[in-house]
Amino acid sequence: MKGGRWITETGSSTYLSEAVAIWFRDLRGEFRTRYAVNAILMFAVTTLIAVSFSIGSFRIGEGEQPFLYAVLLWIILVFSALSGLSRSFVKEEEASTMDVLKLSARPQAVFLGKLFFNLTLLAALELIIVPSFILLMDYKIELPGLFVAMVVSGGVGLGGGTTIVAAMIAQASARGALFSVLSFPLLLPLMITAIKGCEKAAVGTNNSGWPEVRIAVAYSVVMIVMSLFLFPLIWEE
Amino acid sequence: MIAKVLVTVWMAIIIVAAFLYANAAVGFPGETSRILFFHVPQAWVATLSFLISMIGSCIYLARRNLKADNLALSAAELGLLFCLLATASGSIFAKAAWGSFWNWDPRETSIVILLMIYGAYFALRSAVGDPEKRRIFAAVYSILAFVTVPFLVFVVPRITASLHPEDTMNPARPGMDPKTLKVFLGSLLAYTGLFIWLLRLRLRLLNLEGMQEPEFGARENMDRVGEEQ
Repeated sequence: MKGGRWITETGSSTYLSEAVAIWFRDLRGEFRTRYAVNAILMFAVTTLIAVSFSIGSFRIGEGEQPFLYAVLLWIILVFSALSGLSRSFVKEEEASTMDVLKLSARPQAVFLGKLFFNLTLLAALELIIVPSFILLMDYKIELPGLFVAMVVSGGVGLGGGTTIVAAMIAQASARGALFSVLSFPLLLPLMITAIKGCEKAAVGTNNSGWPEVRIAVAYSVVMIVMSLFLFPLIWEE
Repeated sequence: MIAKVLVTVWMAIIIVAAFLYANAAVGFPGETSRILFFHVPQAWVATLSFLISMIGSCIYLARRNLKADNLALSAAELGLLFCLLATASGSIFAKAAWGSFWNWDPRETSIVILLMIYGAYFALRSAVGDPEKRRIFAAVYSILAFVTVPFLVFVVPRITASLHPEDTMNPARPGMDPKTLKVFLGSLLAYTGLFIWLLRLRLRLLNLEGMQEPEFGARENMDRVGEEQ
């Protein structure tokens, strides 16, 4: 890789700076088109309205609320994420910029840049959906610290588990459906953990050490590290 | 050939022994406990083939050897088959013993996720046009899926209690009838033998198919033809 060598020789570019450059480039593109943000947020808002309208804040009894609300919240978050996170790579394929990207940055840097971009999207999604969900459904949370930690670590896991799948499906046919089909089995352990963690936060169960948050963090680390190993294989072919 | 006969005879012996030699375990409705001799080995083979498929994928990514990919693919196919068998047999037992065909018991959850992973694996294989890319992507996905499994095995069962019988039905614990243990271990052997035999058949078929289609990675196939001679 000529480009890569040149970059290292000048010493002006590290993995991180390349990743950040790709991240900002994607953010700029996103500000211009707002395609992914629109897709994800509109999906999430529509689902949230459907849930809130059909269930409301009184339909589910006090005792059932912590668990069922956690389930609903994570179904909204996971499926909204699955509806739009593949954009990060699919748009490169559609605009035929894949080859240029392959030449201009090292694969791990591309992966990290796309991961940062997806995490930004997820942060925006959670910042809007989670407070709205709490307000609309009157979700009472006893341990806000644990709840926030669970939502954040769950979000990182969502990004970490799906970014490499997005890179694969961008080069396949039937992209939209395939992204959910491939991602969901990988995300299910994380989703179950996050639901449990949010339920505990709502009930106020005393659980020292936050095991669910630690599982979500471990999941994120494992998935991101594995992706960094495997990404060059699917990227350079 | 000898292996085929051995597996067949041994399987027949195990089936007869499962119904006539071993005693039905205490505490189960009627004869339902005899499912142990079929359901558990099926689940074991489903898990084993998942492992073999992952190993095949790793070898393929390291060596780019077509045979390794064939191994990963055929193990995944057989894994899906045994996964379905284990799910069906377990479901029938669940109806008889626990009252409903499906209870979202932790192990049922795990096997559903395994089914979904296999389903996704084949969906991915059929969606990528370029054969080289298809093999790489399938291998990468197989490894990714394997990495998430520990989270399931250790995370999910701790969250809810399992309905699966443990003490009398787990050979690692005391309480299992010696006759039952003998037949159970024999059955594990029989199913593993059956799996290996099926796997070798499928591998031979895939290797032959690969030789017939020179346009699919022509160079690799030519190399392989050279090796075989």
